[in-house]
Amino acid sequence: MKTTINSLLFFLFIVPTLMFGQNTLTGTVTEQSTSIPLPGVNVVIKDTTTGTSTDFDGNYQIDVNNGDVIVFSYIGYQSLEMTYTGQAKLDVQLTEDTSQLDEIVIIGYGSTTKKDATGSVEAITSEDFTKGNIVTPENLLSGRVAGVSVTTSGAPGSGSQIKIRGGSSINASNDPLIIIDGLPIDNSSVKGSRGVLASINPNDIDSFSVLKDASATAIYGSRASNGVIIIVTKKGKSTFSATYDTQYSFGELTDRVDVFSGNAYRQLVASQPVNGTTIDESLLGAANTNWQDEIFRNTVSSQHNLSMQGSLFKVLPARFSFGVTNQEGAVLTSEFERRNLSLALNPKFFNDHLKVNLNANLSFEDNRFGDSGQIGAALRYDPTQPIYDSSSPFDGFYQHRNGNIISNGTTNPVASLLQTNNLGDSNRTYGNLNFDYKFHFFPELRAVLNLGYDETEAKEIQSTSFNVPTNSTVKGNALRRFEKRTNKLLDGYLTYNKAFDNVRTEIMAGYSYQEFTFSGNDTGNLRDPLSFANTYADPNVVLIGFFGRANLTFLDKYLLTLTYRRDGTSRFSKENQWGDFPAAALAWNISDEDFLKDSKTISSLKLRAGYGITGQQAVNEKDIFLNRYRGGNVNSQYQFNNTVIQSLIASEINPDLKWEETATIEFGVDYGLIEERISGSLNFFQKNSTDLLFTASVADGTNFSNSIIQNIGELQIQGIEFSVNADVVKQDDFTVDFNFNATLLDREIKELALGQDVRTGGISGGTGNNIQILREGFSPNSFSVFKQLYDNAGNPVEGAFVDLNGDNVINDDDRYLKENPGADVILGFQSNINYKNFDLSFNLRANLGNYVYNNVNSSRAQYELLQDNAVLGNVPKSVLDTGFQRTSDVIISDIYVEDASFLKMDNITLGYTFNNISKHLKSLRLWGGVQNVFTITNYSGLDPEVSVGADQGIDNVIYPRSRTILAGANFKF
Amino acid sequence: MKTRFKIYKTIGLIGLFIVAFTSCTDDLNITPNDDQTTLSEDLFKDEAAYKQVLAGVYANLALTGTDGAGNSNLKNIDAGTSQFGRVLLYVQTLSADQMIWSYENDPGTREIQRNLWTAQNPLLLGMFSRAHLSIALANNFLRETTDEKLDARDVSASVRGEMPAYRAEARLMRAMAYYYMMDIFGKANFADEATPINSQPDVYERAELFSFIESELLAIDADLINAKQNEYGRADKAVAYMVLAKMYLNAQVYIGTDRNADCLSYCEKIIAGGYALATNYLHNFMADNNTNSAINEIIFPIISDGFTTQNFGPTTVMINGSVGSIEVNGAEVGVGDGGWGGALRVRKQFVELFDGSFADDTRNTIISEGRPIDINDISDKDSGYIIQKYSNATSTGGFGVDQTFVDTDFPLFRLADVYLMYAEAHLRGGGGDLTTAVGYVNALRTRANNPNTITSGDLTLDFILDERSRELHWEAHRRQDLIRYNKFTGGNYNWAWKGNGSNGISLPAHFNVYPIPTASMAANPNLTQNTGY
Repeated sequence: MKTTINSLLFFLFIVPTLMFGQNTLTGTVTEQSTSIPLPGVNVVIKDTTTGTSTDFDGNYQIDVNNGDVIVFSYIGYQSLEMTYTGQAKLDVQLTEDTSQLDEIVIIGYGSTTKKDATGSVEAITSEDFTKGNIVTPENLLSGRVAGVSVTTSGAPGSGSQIKIRGGSSINASNDPLIIIDGLPIDNSSVKGSRGVLASINPNDIDSFSVLKDASATAIYGSRASNGVIIIVTKKGKSTFSATYDTQYSFGELTDRVDVFSGNAYRQLVASQPVNGTTIDESLLGAANTNWQDEIFRNTVSSQHNLSMQGSLFKVLPARFSFGVTNQEGAVLTSEFERRNLSLALNPKFFNDHLKVNLNANLSFEDNRFGDSGQIGAALRYDPTQPIYDSSSPFDGFYQHRNGNIISNGTTNPVASLLQTNNLGDSNRTYGNLNFDYKFHFFPELRAVLNLGYDETEAKEIQSTSFNVPTNSTVKGNALRRFEKRTNKLLDGYLTYNKAFDNVRTEIMAGYSYQEFTFSGNDTGNLRDPLSFANTYADPNVVLIGFFGRANLTFLDKYLLTLTYRRDGTSRFSKENQWGDFPAAALAWNISDEDFLKDSKTISSLKLRAGYGITGQQAVNEKDIFLNRYRGGNVNSQYQFNNTVIQSLIASEINPDLKWEETATIEFGVDYGLIEERISGSLNFFQKNSTDLLFTASVADGTNFSNSIIQNIGELQIQGIEFSVNADVVKQDDFTVDFNFNATLLDREIKELALGQDVRTGGISGGTGNNIQILREGFSPNSFSVFKQLYDNAGNPVEGAFVDLNGDNVINDDDRYLKENPGADVILGFQSNINYKNFDLSFNLRANLGNYVYNNVNSSRAQYELLQDNAVLGNVPKSVLDTGFQRTSDVIISDIYVEDASFLKMDNITLGYTFNNISKHLKSLRLWGGVQNVFTITNYSGLDPEVSVGADQGIDNVIYPRSRTILAGANFKF
Repeated sequence: MKTRFKIYKTIGLIGLFIVAFTSCTDDLNITPNDDQTTLSEDLFKDEAAYKQVLAGVYANLALTGTDGAGNSNLKNIDAGTSQFGRVLLYVQTLSADQMIWSYENDPGTREIQRNLWTAQNPLLLGMFSRAHLSIALANNFLRETTDEKLDARDVSASVRGEMPAYRAEARLMRAMAYYYMMDIFGKANFADEATPINSQPDVYERAELFSFIESELLAIDADLINAKQNEYGRADKAVAYMVLAKMYLNAQVYIGTDRNADCLSYCEKIIAGGYALATNYLHNFMADNNTNSAINEIIFPIISDGFTTQNFGPTTVMINGSVGSIEVNGAEVGVGDGGWGGALRVRKQFVELFDGSFADDTRNTIISEGRPIDINDISDKDSGYIIQKYSNATSTGGFGVDQTFVDTDFPLFRLADVYLMYAEAHLRGGGGDLTTAVGYVNALRTRANNPNTITSGDLTLDFILDERSRELHWEAHRRQDLIRYNKFTGGNYNWAWKGNGSNGISLPAHFNVYPIPTASMAANPNLTQNTGY
């Protein structure tokens, strides 16, 4: 094969050039500081299309004429021009280009340099990654980028909520588009997996690009409104290196919800604090059990990653990595294990005209899910009862019972956890194959073809003991479930690059096709004869896009970017399925102007302005535009003449559904001071989302629901982002740098469907209570509460609220809006300090002005709850402060809406590196650290950071975050 | 050579893209993949679908959605709570003097049972939206079964033969939904089969609704199947007569006109349909009331089945809910021991209707031992009496298949009601015969094993109101009855917690109709709020 290719090359390139009778020049290109040969350096005769590139030993051979100027160029190095004057051999050395301004920044369907970027794009490379206990990739970005917030739950391997600039939708998705090596991934997960990012090994990631404003994101059109995160994985290299990283972590929960101890509880019950009811003291036990201590545990977790890079058979640059992550959850029995295999092959053909990148990843996730609902049961369970009871027929666990009959009420949480074994086994295969072809004889033109595939298959096996506490004839649960998600991508584009005298142009045009599928089935509870098997499938989602971009650079100072995308989605009807998303951006490198060129202080200064329209179609409804009927499942049939008939009910329909559009206007400044030792950006932006995809009322009787998704409403987001990176100390053996970023955000609903309020924020305590509201003129999900009345001593009066509308009745009309869960200001700070072989890094994160509704107190801290149906139940000690009797009197009180501003140190790590240990072991770094170091807050609950999932700003017994001690070693070979 | 090579490559690549484009943009036109979902264009290829779609119209009274009891095709109300019979029970019974719901943090319940409701009440939204969904589903059925469409689909003669009855039943279900809207809200969005999807329809007030319902029910009479001749679960002529009789009885409230004679004549028509009282009063409220002697009494049920037709409807709620917090007597009625921990109790004024002479009356299922009669604190589930009227046990000593979802059908209309309506219409000057009226009342008493029969002198309007409560309590009639007697609002009759006073206080007159839900009003600007709200 190789011979054939060589012969072909010979004919294609060598033969024609021989005809002109030129001289052959050879030489070696090396890296200046290390003298290591550089492979893949472009060697081109200036102003021609004749060229070659160096081989793996840095050698090149090219035919030249006297007087030709030869240009040597390589990414990350300063280009060098040499004139051919008849030398037989020309060896050159390239020096590394340290200027950040030439740093490559990956953007949609291409790349640019930091200097040429016209949009709000932030590149985070491995040196900048957030350190510490990183299990899933998004945590590498945590606190690192202005405008990006990452909130991770305490559950092992669990997904995070990522938001860029607060999200631009209300009902539609607020998740950013995540692209791995050109493959946009589906944000929905499968049962059996912890989340879409949980199966990705953070160790395989080379860099992130975060695209924030519309001028940068519009190239992704319909999916770009919430920003784009482009993940680039590590690639193969021609020189051999290997690393082995290992890390152990030891986690401990440092805090508990303060409930009564056994002794205190006995005293409390004896005092009979519930008005009008006498609690049966004979139900009290003699034990002292701290149920939270019993269901939480100290955890040991580990990560091992092995990676090798090098050239296979001397011609095929490759990278292989293997990672094993093992994480115990703080809740008894919960566990996450992941094995990742990743292979990257990055060969080049035809003198580098054709680059092929193959990324193939296998991920095996094994989970045991410990029911986090038992955290609530642990707060509730009677502390005077023991864990075990040898006479109990329920596997020896204590249960409230009367003989073998279980009394109504909460059951033993330790038993619930240990008697349940819910396993999830998720296998994911993802990767892409990318062809990047630079045309022979027309190197200005490049064609890129990208094929991507992502498939997750998950099995879930739920089973419980047969001796679970139940009075039902069905003893426990046994269920199997299978789910499968696929994501197929084909995209391709052509790029034309040409430099004229004063103008550089880059024009790109392309096409993208992506299809998502989802299906699954489960067996129902195999122990329940009334339960039934079920199969289900989502309609396919197909997204098709045509896109183009033109970059024009005048005099290297004035930059113009125009982009356009036309997107089609299968979510809307034929009439509405296409949308157009244009954007434009201007930038001016002022520092290149004569008046600043020689400034010692200002090393770079760029002004940017951008405007663009992006779209949104990611709603749950995938086929609501169609005229559909749905048959009832086995439990939802009708009967005629006592014979079952499957009823068919027409489904809600909206044939007019169309794109939500977000227009973003942005002004920004990128600055660099004192030779770029201080650099950063300042951005001002405003986003207006119109035709919001919004679930709102339809006139009753005209549809098959009372509320359907429609295009109604407008949301406005205004914000300021500021970042500064500073090299405070930069000496040979001592460096200090830090990054600080700040985001000010204001989200306001401008318009809602027909001006009506929409209740959101379901809370526990009662069936279907809502605590939040969407209202015109306010932030989304503002808290809608009663205004608490206080007595002269300043204590809240139970059930007494201000009659705000003065009609002498306290009802819904007296609720007012108090604050919202969104932070007004988000701050991030991280610093790295290196002294000789020591390295120290830490980060800090703060949210200011975010409020939380304390649902733990509101639904639990009332005396009547000492009675838990037929048994006794514990309550939070905060009941002593309020003296509240009944949940229903107080649950909507504003007393539970608390300021949850916080400052957190997420991690601090200290390391020491041993260099040149042996011939094979180049270096060894030992490090240790602490994760979740401290939190400073006035919030009375366990953790002020509760915003995971849909119930933003509602603290309803979260999975607590452990403080973790970390120790690790990195070996480099 | 160089140029050609380039051109070929370029053309080839562009060609590849074009092929990809044209073949793939059609992929945007997707169809559902789930086996429960069918496109309407495919559905009617199977002629069995017509009856299944009709079943869907009926099912809207029993089910909240297609995927289990916790699933709803309505939004902004708790899924299980959006069941038709459930919200009807809340607006007609919980709002009056028979019932108390202990868990007032269930949204809307506090405001309904203390008569504090506002237009934001989610239960009222559930009522308004659920009934209008019946209208939309019936309209849809009528649109899909026009002669034109049946011709186009070449529907077989046997199915076409069924079609007049099917269509008449759909119109009956629609008229019944409008009847409830007329009674509860005093107005409705008027949508028929010609009303476009997602439009903002006209609004009919009580008078327009009255004449529409009346004309519809008269018009479909010929097509409806004779009383007791249709399949159980489907409606027949008697159901239409029942709606008419109830409209006529309450005509004074709705349109200010006395129609008692019409009421009485339709009661006679129903009785002539061949109905008979169940041998045991309680058979009407048991798990096998679809097969025991109650099938002769129940005119129209809302179906419930512990396996095939699960719902959080009125029977599931009342059977689980009336299990006592002290008594823990769920096993007796075929649900979990603790049931729902004492969710439902009765108010004092209801208890007082059963004096000593009703000690052995089978309609008296009150459990009072160890309980104070007064409910001073609604959340105290040990105060106030409980009853055991509905049950998931069968008349033969068995139980329903499930311990939460009961098999007991909800008797929306039954013969005992017709007897009492006859007597009342007679007293209100609707004609008929006094002896017959007294006979009907005494038939109910005899059936209830109550030896204290009445004489014609005992038969007064006030007596009938009380007897209706004894016979028909917790069957979603009470608010309507009290309004007809002018005892719901005002201070003529105050019951515990009326107007949010533990001993009851007067209610303003505008509470005779409920407010139009805010969300419904916002979605149709033609709807205006009822006076006083």
